[in-house]
Amino acid sequence: MLRIQAGALAALLLPAAAPAQELPVVKLFTTGGTIQSLGKDRLKLAEYREGRIDGETIVEAVPEASRLARIEVQAISAVSSVRMGAEQGLPLARQLAEELARPEVAGAIVTHGTTTLEETAYFLHLTVRTTKPVVVIGSMRPWTAVSRDGPLNFLGAVRTVLTPDAAGKGVLVLLNDTIHSARFVTKRHTYHIETFVSPDVGPLGFADADRVVLYRSPVTRHTGDTEFDLDGIEELPQVDIVYGYQEASRAPIDALVKEGAKGIILADSAPAHGNAVLEALAAGVVVVRGSRKGAGRVVLSDRTAARSEITADNLHPQKARILLRLALTRTTDARELQRIFNEY
Amino acid sequence: MPPPGIDLPHVVLVSVGGEIATNCDTPLDLADCASGGETFAPATWTRDLPDLGLVARIGTEDLRAFSGADGGAAPEHWQALAGRLQQLAGDPEVDGVVVTHGADGLADTAFFLNLVLPTRKPVVLVAAQRPWSAVSGDGPLNLYDAVRVAAHPAAGGKGVLVVANQEVHAARDARRTSAYRMDGFGSVDLGLIGVADPDVVRFFTEPTRRHTHRSEFELAALPESLPAVEIVAAVPDAPGRLIEAALAAGAKGLVVDGAAGLSAGQLAALRRAREQGIVVVATSATRGGRAPEVTALRESGVIPGDNLTPTKARTLLRLALAKTTDPTEIRRFFREY
Repeated sequence: MLRIQAGALAALLLPAAAPAQELPVVKLFTTGGTIQSLGKDRLKLAEYREGRIDGETIVEAVPEASRLARIEVQAISAVSSVRMGAEQGLPLARQLAEELARPEVAGAIVTHGTTTLEETAYFLHLTVRTTKPVVVIGSMRPWTAVSRDGPLNFLGAVRTVLTPDAAGKGVLVLLNDTIHSARFVTKRHTYHIETFVSPDVGPLGFADADRVVLYRSPVTRHTGDTEFDLDGIEELPQVDIVYGYQEASRAPIDALVKEGAKGIILADSAPAHGNAVLEALAAGVVVVRGSRKGAGRVVLSDRTAARSEITADNLHPQKARILLRLALTRTTDARELQRIFNEY
Repeated sequence: MPPPGIDLPHVVLVSVGGEIATNCDTPLDLADCASGGETFAPATWTRDLPDLGLVARIGTEDLRAFSGADGGAAPEHWQALAGRLQQLAGDPEVDGVVVTHGADGLADTAFFLNLVLPTRKPVVLVAAQRPWSAVSGDGPLNLYDAVRVAAHPAAGGKGVLVVANQEVHAARDARRTSAYRMDGFGSVDLGLIGVADPDVVRFFTEPTRRHTHRSEFELAALPESLPAVEIVAAVPDAPGRLIEAALAAGAKGLVVDGAAGLSAGQLAALRRAREQGIVVVATSATRGGRAPEVTALRESGVIPGDNLTPTKARTLLRLALAKTTDPTEIRRFFREY
């Protein structure tokens, strides 16, 4: 079966072999992460602090990709995903928009560490005004590992960018042959290959060996249809997440208000949060009710609406934070903020 | 919530029967009416569940005559059902249609309607895992949610929808995933396209494959009886007798479930079938993932059935064979629908 699939893949790739200058351009932006990381030996699957490879190395390792497209590499950073944030996200979004405006560019790929991959992907989904495909990839195993997933994820991303159906669907996330929307995807395992899932909603499609197929299109607003504009924005308002659990203290909320946070996302809440939230609202801090459960919408109750709190729909707290930071660049009005959470 | 009034959307409740239209003699009859019971006319719903009037002006139509043994529309009545649903959807006074159905065959009826109804209005199929009379029965909430979805402006243009367990699924991908538990429907490999939550109906995605108003299959052009297509399971040590029997009985097409596991006898029988011009479609027996367009299938002239279940692949092949026997064209149908 493996032999047959490899044959099918080769058959798929061969007809596209054309002189390099006639091929569409695919931009590869690199930010770091496991996909670019090196371990001591090939059995070090979860430990890799021996330096990083650059984007050119990825391209050279998968020559089939260069038969489909002219890959242009652009390094943004070389860090673990927990070090990513607006400092890298803002220039990345701007450079993506600039490069995607070139007519010869078919789309873009972004490498990223997996832990916060969904946050950067959703940020780009909300800010990059384009209808061209943007595919964020990572890998669960380092570049040096046996059965590493990085090369096939990269090739799948190139094939996805070149699939006409992929246009206009917003930012896509591809690992393990599975294509997710940045809006719904989350990392749900620490190291398995099958780690990225879109709870309830499921993936949009698959980069299968024979063909890239897309079965779904997101109906929430994104990319070409976004109202968010990064022009003139140098930094984003501070928004933090407070976790709810048995006997949780109100101290994190008080500390964040004191520190000057403009918004707080509640990942569920505890009784002691009640008065702290009321005081935060009185101080002009926006509070969004999210959930730590991982699936399902936070249902808008009459009480929540009466208190001017916002609900996060089915956005995970870490994504609700991204949306609220961008929303606060436009408004602090509770009704308008709720509209934004309903639409994006 | 708005008060009942003439501004509410008009939703027609069509009963084809099913658990959702069945009262058993005791509330602990959860799987079937072991102690007796019977299906009821749609007026019972509006009497038992007056809340429906809060979200829509309800009309009812009793089409239980189309029901088969499993409480869902019998395939021989599919075309008549589709014809009546298209009339209802074509009525400018109607905003949406809800069809109640037995849970068992619902996904297949939904897929057929998804391919032949040219409407952009919401057509929602709904079932219950438990009889209407059951303790903690899911029928009432499912029916209420189906009406809310059919009355929702965003529900149009997304193809035929399946509502159950507060979820909205696309007809193409919906499958029954449990015989009696509450999470009775899912879209394997994919997922729901929307939710009927306590506060709002909300859509997250929409299907991209062709359906309803974007379908090229015309109800009016269908023969009274669709071409015969049989399903054969690939079994590593099976002789080819079932395939030969299907052909002898007049099958014009075959769906082979699990093509990678065909026996030598089955392969030989399929080769003879192909020589007679029988169209063969392969589905993946894994119930997750597509039957890949691999070299071996391509060379043997077998058409990959994408990620469709064998029964759905059969429905699409029957509709396809009513139009053409050209394998290139049929291959296109399986890529586009």
